[in-house]
Amino acid sequence: MILQSNDLVKSFGGVTAINHLSLTVEKGTVFGIIGPNGSGKTTFFNLVTGMYPPTSGTVTFNGRNITGLRPHRIAELGIGRTFQIPAPFTKMTLLENVMVSTFIRASSLKESRKMAWEILELMRLDDKGNTLVANVTLEDRKRLELARALGTHPTLLLLDEVMSGLTPAEVKGAIELIRSLRTEELTIIVVEHIMDVILSLCDRIAVLDYGQKIAEDLPDHIVNNKDVIKAYLGERYSARN
Amino acid sequence: MPSQVGQVKANAAKILWRWAPLSILILVVLSIPWIVSPLWIRIVTEVLMWAGLAQSWNIIGGYTGYLCFGHGAFFGLGAYITGITMMHLGWPFGVGLLISGILSALLAMIIGYPTLRLRGAYFAIATWAFGEMVRQVATILDDVTGGPVGLQLHPFLNLPYFYYVMLGVTGLTYLTTYLLLDRARFGYKVLAIREHEEAAEMVGVDTVTIKVKAFALSAFFPGIFGGVFAYWVTYIHPDSVLGAQLTDFMVVMAFLGGIGSLWGPLFGAIVVQLVQRILWLVWGEGTFYLIIIGAAICAVVLFIPNGLIGLMESRFLSPREAVSQLKKTFKW
Amino acid sequence: MELFLQTIIDGLLIGGLIIVVGIGFSLCFGVMHIVDFAVGEWVMLGAYTGYIMVRYFGHDPMIYLPIIFLIFCGVGWMIYPLIYRAVSGKRHNPVIMGLVFTFGISIMAKGGALFIWGFHLHSITTWLSGKSISLGFAMVPSLRFSGFIFGILVTILFMTFLYKTKLGITIRATAQDRDTANLLGTDVRKVGALVYSLYAGVTGMSGVLIGTLFSIHAAMGAKYCTLAFFVVVLAGMGYVPGVILAAFILGLLQSFVGVYLGGRYNQIALFIVMYGVLLITPKGILRRGI
Repeated sequence: MILQSNDLVKSFGGVTAINHLSLTVEKGTVFGIIGPNGSGKTTFFNLVTGMYPPTSGTVTFNGRNITGLRPHRIAELGIGRTFQIPAPFTKMTLLENVMVSTFIRASSLKESRKMAWEILELMRLDDKGNTLVANVTLEDRKRLELARALGTHPTLLLLDEVMSGLTPAEVKGAIELIRSLRTEELTIIVVEHIMDVILSLCDRIAVLDYGQKIAEDLPDHIVNNKDVIKAYLGERYSARN
Repeated sequence: MPSQVGQVKANAAKILWRWAPLSILILVVLSIPWIVSPLWIRIVTEVLMWAGLAQSWNIIGGYTGYLCFGHGAFFGLGAYITGITMMHLGWPFGVGLLISGILSALLAMIIGYPTLRLRGAYFAIATWAFGEMVRQVATILDDVTGGPVGLQLHPFLNLPYFYYVMLGVTGLTYLTTYLLLDRARFGYKVLAIREHEEAAEMVGVDTVTIKVKAFALSAFFPGIFGGVFAYWVTYIHPDSVLGAQLTDFMVVMAFLGGIGSLWGPLFGAIVVQLVQRILWLVWGEGTFYLIIIGAAICAVVLFIPNGLIGLMESRFLSPREAVSQLKKTFKW
Repeated sequence: MELFLQTIIDGLLIGGLIIVVGIGFSLCFGVMHIVDFAVGEWVMLGAYTGYIMVRYFGHDPMIYLPIIFLIFCGVGWMIYPLIYRAVSGKRHNPVIMGLVFTFGISIMAKGGALFIWGFHLHSITTWLSGKSISLGFAMVPSLRFSGFIFGILVTILFMTFLYKTKLGITIRATAQDRDTANLLGTDVRKVGALVYSLYAGVTGMSGVLIGTLFSIHAAMGAKYCTLAFFVVVLAGMGYVPGVILAAFILGLLQSFVGVYLGGRYNQIALFIVMYGVLLITPKGILRRGI
């Protein structure tokens, strides 16, 4: 078990974004989180990565309580994430962007550079390594998001709607890429909207609604789960099957 | 063999060609006190000081993206500390300078920790308030600082001495900026904070520590410059070393030259000082140059946010384009 | 006891006038997210304009208030497109760019004033100068009282405008959610220009009154910039109703510190409180700021 959230609650003023959420993710798996807009998916990621502390409850990573730690500490411990809307360092080159994220792993600037090039090659961005982010397309920026997250050499990777804004062809490429990242060392949690993507990638899926977990199961079971269908998939999908 | 000698000669010529301009410049700079009149020595010394001050501001304002509107406080603090250690404690100049720098950096760390939590406009206002507060305090603590009457130091008139000291401190400022901010991991982290602080934190950059360090570094040099200034002009008081105009100039010079660049502040300092001197020559010692400076800042924000350095790197607008841009601004 | 009451009266009177300086400034930030560093200079220019008008045309400065309002509205309307442009650049942080731009304007204004009028002090007198009303337990100087009334009047007019007129509601909507307002057909740029002009007009007007109460000099802007910042930080940036409370707190603070600690500590007390608020409750003491 690599990640566990225990009775997590997060309220913003009057709104309870996360309502007693308890989840467990096993090491080396691809775990999916789905749910309608506003169900708390991104808030969950923000809590895990330490962007803000929960109102109550804990988050445990590799047996260690990481609740309330600052994001950079959590990154050091091995959790990396991408943002739904890419947040690159605009006035730096793609290479420099990735270099910054390797600083916690590399012991010198030279080593950082080497690591960064390797990651860019993996993401097939090496031809644009020395281009400024400002001059690069959205798809490239999304790949850069991923490259930068990988730069921290995470053991747990949180992908927040990496598919949004991509064409069907690009989505296929992204699925392949994520599949290729799977190893025993890397656990991936994917938040997505597109059902097909989630179903084809994930070993296990949790469904959120109004900040609560309404189901957690294997992909095939989730599709047939009555509560999930009611809350999220709608009558038509269940009718199709 | 003849061709080998020819090759050696060609290489020597190449090296000489490459390094000649720079060497000549360095030689000229080093020998200023011997080749120009005392008036000009003073002018160049002052330009050097401003170049260094603008660069110091640049570290926190340009590179880190936190615009500090009270930076002059560190300069004044340094001036007073050196003045006090020399006059009330009788310590030598060098020691006073060092203490000035260190205490300035320390103060920056102390107020930086809570203040750097504020974003953009709030940080600007808070630091502005801080600057004004320091000036008030200096005016009130009159047994220590001499209050509004000011502090008098031992007279020491030696223009070449102060020229070289100023040159040294400015050189140190630029060298440190180059090494730490253009060439080291620290610089990358600082830029990342400026570009997207949240994302930087997410990829492992300890933003709080880096910001505080940058702020402390940016306060260290003004502290020393203040000390040098105090001994150089021999008499300081709250308006001369803690007035708002100090921060104003630092900001203007850095912006005009190009914030976030290494040589921008130097350019900005030279241009602003030049404009000021020329205007003084033409219109007499007045405050007309302030109007020009203010207009320059507005122009920079509107048309060349990357400063003069940025202007040199990108293309110039043709007159037609400039006019159409202006038209667009006023169209409804 | 009498001193205590007098101190309170003095504080409230000043507070009333200060509301005016803070109200426009707060609205400016609330609607356009612009921190106008030149707010003090608007006050200064207003004071000088009043001074010139009295010198060249005679009569009481109070007569010129509406004219000055219109003049400054006009100036604000003309300058706004430039500010808009400075704030709309895609390259940098717009709030910062606005700040630096208005910073440039304040330097220009201060330099211009110094150039034209030098370092001398001036003042304006009106028929109310020197007169005062006696309340038995305290004295109310007529001029300060009129400043107070002016402040209250402007506040009432402003609030009525913002909450009861169509245009006012449009402005508040734009402040809350610019994009939606845009989608609903509001010309956000025109709204911004209107707000800025109003702000310039009102602040310029207050300068005239301030000019009758305190000395006028080219560098007086910094003091009112401080007051405006203080009021808005306490009130919460962009939260206009809070300005009323904050202005009175400021007036009372200045009054009490001045009387019981000494005038020298006035500014320091101000800064300490402002700094404290910024660090502890950056959204203002009522926590309603942006």
